[in-house]
Amino acid sequence: MEKITDRQKILIVDDSEMNRAILADMLGGEFDIVEAENGVEGVAMLQKHGLEISLVLLDIVMPVMDGFGVLTQMNKYRWIEDIPVIMISAERGSSHVERAFELGITDFISRPFDAIIVHRRVVNTILLYAKQKRLTAMVAEQIYEKEQRNSLMIDILSHCVEFRNGESGMHVRNVHILTETLLNALLRKTDRYHISQADISVISTASALHDIGKIAIPEEILNKPGKFTPEEFAIMKTHSMVGAEMLENLPSYQNEPLVSFAYQICRWHHERWDGRGYPDGLAGDEIPISAQIVAMADVYDALTSERVYKPPFSHGQAVNMIVGGECGQFNPLMLECLEECADEIRQELAAGGEQRRSQRDIQNVARELHRHKELTASERSLELLEHERMKYSFFASLTKEIQFEYTISPPALVLNSWGSEKLDLPEALLDPYQHPEALSIINKDVQSKLADALHSTTPGSPVVQFDCKLTIKGEERWHHIVARASWSAEEPPRYTGCIGKAMDIHNSRLELESLERQASHDSLTGLVNRAYAKKRIIERLEDRPAGHYAMVILDLDYFKSANDTYGHMFGDEVLKFLAERMRHSIRGGDIAARVGGDEFLIFLEYKDDLESAIEGVYGRVSGGVYKDFAISVSMGVASTQEAGCDYDSLFRCADQALYVVKHSGKKGYYNYYHKENAIDAATSAVSPIDAEGKEESE
Amino acid sequence: MTLKECYAALNGDYEEAMGRLRSERLVQKFVLKFLDDGSFDLLCRSMEAGDQPEAFRAAHTIKGVCANMAFSALLESSSQLTELLRAGDMGDQAQELFQRVKADYAKTAQAIQAFREEAGG
Repeated sequence: MEKITDRQKILIVDDSEMNRAILADMLGGEFDIVEAENGVEGVAMLQKHGLEISLVLLDIVMPVMDGFGVLTQMNKYRWIEDIPVIMISAERGSSHVERAFELGITDFISRPFDAIIVHRRVVNTILLYAKQKRLTAMVAEQIYEKEQRNSLMIDILSHCVEFRNGESGMHVRNVHILTETLLNALLRKTDRYHISQADISVISTASALHDIGKIAIPEEILNKPGKFTPEEFAIMKTHSMVGAEMLENLPSYQNEPLVSFAYQICRWHHERWDGRGYPDGLAGDEIPISAQIVAMADVYDALTSERVYKPPFSHGQAVNMIVGGECGQFNPLMLECLEECADEIRQELAAGGEQRRSQRDIQNVARELHRHKELTASERSLELLEHERMKYSFFASLTKEIQFEYTISPPALVLNSWGSEKLDLPEALLDPYQHPEALSIINKDVQSKLADALHSTTPGSPVVQFDCKLTIKGEERWHHIVARASWSAEEPPRYTGCIGKAMDIHNSRLELESLERQASHDSLTGLVNRAYAKKRIIERLEDRPAGHYAMVILDLDYFKSANDTYGHMFGDEVLKFLAERMRHSIRGGDIAARVGGDEFLIFLEYKDDLESAIEGVYGRVSGGVYKDFAISVSMGVASTQEAGCDYDSLFRCADQALYVVKHSGKKGYYNYYHKENAIDAATSAVSPIDAEGKEESE
Repeated sequence: MTLKECYAALNGDYEEAMGRLRSERLVQKFVLKFLDDGSFDLLCRSMEAGDQPEAFRAAHTIKGVCANMAFSALLESSSQLTELLRAGDMGDQAQELFQRVKADYAKTAQAIQAFREEAGG
């Protein structure tokens, strides 16, 4: 008896909560229930849960998107082929029912419904689909097994022949590959021969049998190293007919496509386009296409392989010989194919070998499966998929990060539950680009940056990551985004969406910024410190070496007496006061820094008139009082024109100029450095400790 | 008041509901739940606002629920209203029917309310 073992999931799409509750109550004992209150939500649920959903109970009349809308989407994405839908509605009009069946529903239950009927129909439908899935899996296995068995037997048989022929064992393999490659090329070129993909697979397999008739040829003729006598050649030529007869006499396989193709191939693979081949002297397309192709493959491989009587020819030589008619005339279309797929042939032959072989078998089975629409993934792979989903959602629920999955077709965004809560968005969102709340989280620039980055990845390296701001519940926060683009397996690969996560790095980023700030600023005055000023100045000088810059070193007069008279606290207040004045005395691009102690530095750019620029600065910085303390400043000034365009010279020269003021005993003066009256470089106004940029102790 | 008496008070068919839902527990559960369903409020709002599609959907939902619960009187009036609204009619006839639905709903709500109080207390 059929029994439902694992709990199946049922999706109920109905706008009335009451209706959903009634249905859920009827079924909830045996099934897991997922609910959606309109069509769009229903589609989003299907998108999210995929084949985990065993059945959909669907209402017709709903807001946003009605039941027919859901069915249309399910057809568009072909979910309807795998997920049965039972429609439940109070609509009784036959046109409604008819339309619903046309859109692929399995059953229609009209309202008011009966608990037992709903239950029974749901169970029946699920069992039916489960049975179909199992049958599908069985058929797939059988096809695969049959193909395997065929290939195995043919391999053994044809290797027997080859072994007897004293060939390398590669001939059969090569003919197989060549036949397949040439047939594919021919199929691309013309549909004249009505060959399907399945035919290609069977003909290629049958090609291995082309020489089985050689079993009947005496070994001394078969392996004669020299040229055949006419009598010997006549015997040799019988192998094609003998092979065909062997196949013809197989008692019960005459209807097998493999056997009938093999018959054609055996009998006619030595026929030629101009009718000068054997045994029947057929010409043109009287020769079946299977035999024409194998004939060419056979000749090509014989030419390019080493034989006792000849060295191997190159691909080019072989093609020339075939085109030149040295091995008889061939179908001109096939000559084109041979020339066109030269590269492909080389690659395929080089890549050949067991692995390649089994891969090809698998490809053939896959193609076969693909051809039969009703054959879908086996239950085993669905189980595996299910397991992966479970694993994924378990781990996703543990991490505190926003995880997302985006698919282009249908355009849908799926979030983990933590992310959904964090962003205040539903877990599954159809058409997120139409969703203002979703768009408000990630601004236009970041959106296009992310999209560009993902689109320009490759299947080989699909991961992008960067930092950006996301607006979450109205607050802008820094996030680190890591995303992996999904590329389809086809050639060329198509971008199909991405998966990824966003981690909140706001706090650590702010911390970093504040650490950077701490490292670059003087804690007392809030001005930048000497080391940071030096870095910035060097950058400016390198940026525009031709600019006119000046460096000013300032020293607060009478500072020592302020400290002595009013105490260090007061001294600190004076320094802050002066720093504040300096901040307001300079223009945007200029730099004001504390060198250390009561020494400060200003770096400024001027146009032509250095004097008036300096006069301005001096006027704004010096003079007046702080509480009872008169603010008086001495300055040394060096310009890039006089001192040169590097930081060290500027600093040294400004320092020397200040030294001159200090040693004149004057207070509240400033002095320019001039090359001609430069003094000894060893003299310095800045005390050795200050010059190291150390801060004065409190 | 028993559940059966409640059905009698709201002009419903108790036997039919039992036949469908198969257990008194379920019938009682959904009878009590009926007043939480927002469809009636939605119907009133959209009738007032003249929003025909929304009013149609709301009436349609009420009709479906009543059918399942076998609330015969409200089922009858809401079905008629549904058909008028489906045809796009928001005129006098629809307004008149709407008044009847309102009355039937009030009666139903009253019965359930009374039943709830007794069941709860």
